[in-house]
Amino acid sequence: MFDVDYIKATNLEDALDFLNTNGAETKILAGGTDILVDMRSGALKPRFLLDVSRLDDLKKIEIQDGQLCIGAAVTISELLESDTIAAMAPALRKAAEKFASRQIRNVATIGGNVAHCSPCGDTIPPLLIHDASAVVLTSAGRRHVTIEEMASGPYHCSLHSDEIISHFVLQPRPREVTFVDFQKIGRRQELAIARMSMAAMACQDERGSIAYMRFALGSCTPTPHRFREVEEYMTGKVPAEHIIWEAGRLVADKMLSITGRRPSAVYKEPAIQGLFVRMMRPLVANK
Amino acid sequence: MISIKFIINGEKKELDIPAGITALELIRDRLALKGTKEGCGIGECGACTIVVDGRAVNACLMLAAQLDGREILTVEGLAQSGDLHPIQEAFAEKHAVQCGFCSPGLLMSTTALLAENPHPNRSEIVKAISGNLCRCTGYHSIMEAVKAAVEKQAAFKKD
Repeated sequence: MFDVDYIKATNLEDALDFLNTNGAETKILAGGTDILVDMRSGALKPRFLLDVSRLDDLKKIEIQDGQLCIGAAVTISELLESDTIAAMAPALRKAAEKFASRQIRNVATIGGNVAHCSPCGDTIPPLLIHDASAVVLTSAGRRHVTIEEMASGPYHCSLHSDEIISHFVLQPRPREVTFVDFQKIGRRQELAIARMSMAAMACQDERGSIAYMRFALGSCTPTPHRFREVEEYMTGKVPAEHIIWEAGRLVADKMLSITGRRPSAVYKEPAIQGLFVRMMRPLVANK
Repeated sequence: MISIKFIINGEKKELDIPAGITALELIRDRLALKGTKEGCGIGECGACTIVVDGRAVNACLMLAAQLDGREILTVEGLAQSGDLHPIQEAFAEKHAVQCGFCSPGLLMSTTALLAENPHPNRSEIVKAISGNLCRCTGYHSIMEAVKAAVEKQAAFKKD
């Protein structure tokens, strides 16, 4: 039994008021799949748990002004079941498929996955390639926080204690995009914490050269990032084996420039390059 | 203490509970339904799987307070008036039980799967039960049991 008080939010306004007064001693509870693990280990000892998982305002998936809005309390299973997500953010759907187990997907939320700020959050690389930002509310107002700004370090969320993520705003997949993928490597196939993860979107012009590319790497750096150098390198080129191997080397180099050469680099450097090549190979023209 | 109302295995309950207990503690310690097991306690093994509003969840990662207003099914709710549920029969017939510790969780994951998708293929079955670990490694028999359960359920519906 945990020594904690539980508050079920019945509307967003009350939830924000509660945080305005008690934010510093409160953890926001949605799926609870990370919070209960951290409370059990003793790493987390909040006085209050504010349950926002049933707030309808946080559970919508909709298009607004051409942008895809995903409520923070949408579960991973709900992402998987949404036709809108499949059409507009297919890499996010692929990440949802590979996310933990059925039991966890049924309760874990996209907002929780992002706000937990684990370097290996599966939804983060797909959100990055859609230039996503979070709409963050307080009782006084709202602001936008980009996904890259959300984590100030591993497991350190930059949001203030009186703030709630209401939803994420994504640029939908451009119509021309023909290639989308999310890949991850873990210690087993299911229920694995990603050791490395990556998401990409691309389209090729009539000559086969890359006209548009987005690429983000997760798990390998303290906070996940879009790798713009790799996007720029690929853009304008017709993908061939040597091109994707070279781009894979750029991914590994960039990762090492952020993390330094840690002991795991012996494995990670070739594995990242290999995973990137495997992911991008469908773009190589069959000649 | 907080008040919660819920339905468990078809029975309505209204209880005052401490805010800090998990759904698993409520089910095992307060309601004395010992079929639901605690294995890892951190959502990796699936021994505590229950079905909440039709979906399989880990009872160890949920607060009891979150069950308010929900409908819950535990392994004790499968058998009806003394007759095993077809999924339980399938597990018994295919010897999908060794030490038995993972069985309640696997039965509940299978129950939720078949309610969502009455005709799952092999890879859909693997995906649905991959959050349930069997330390005796009896996965082959478990797969056979789930496949048999699919057939039993289909036959049951035809009757």
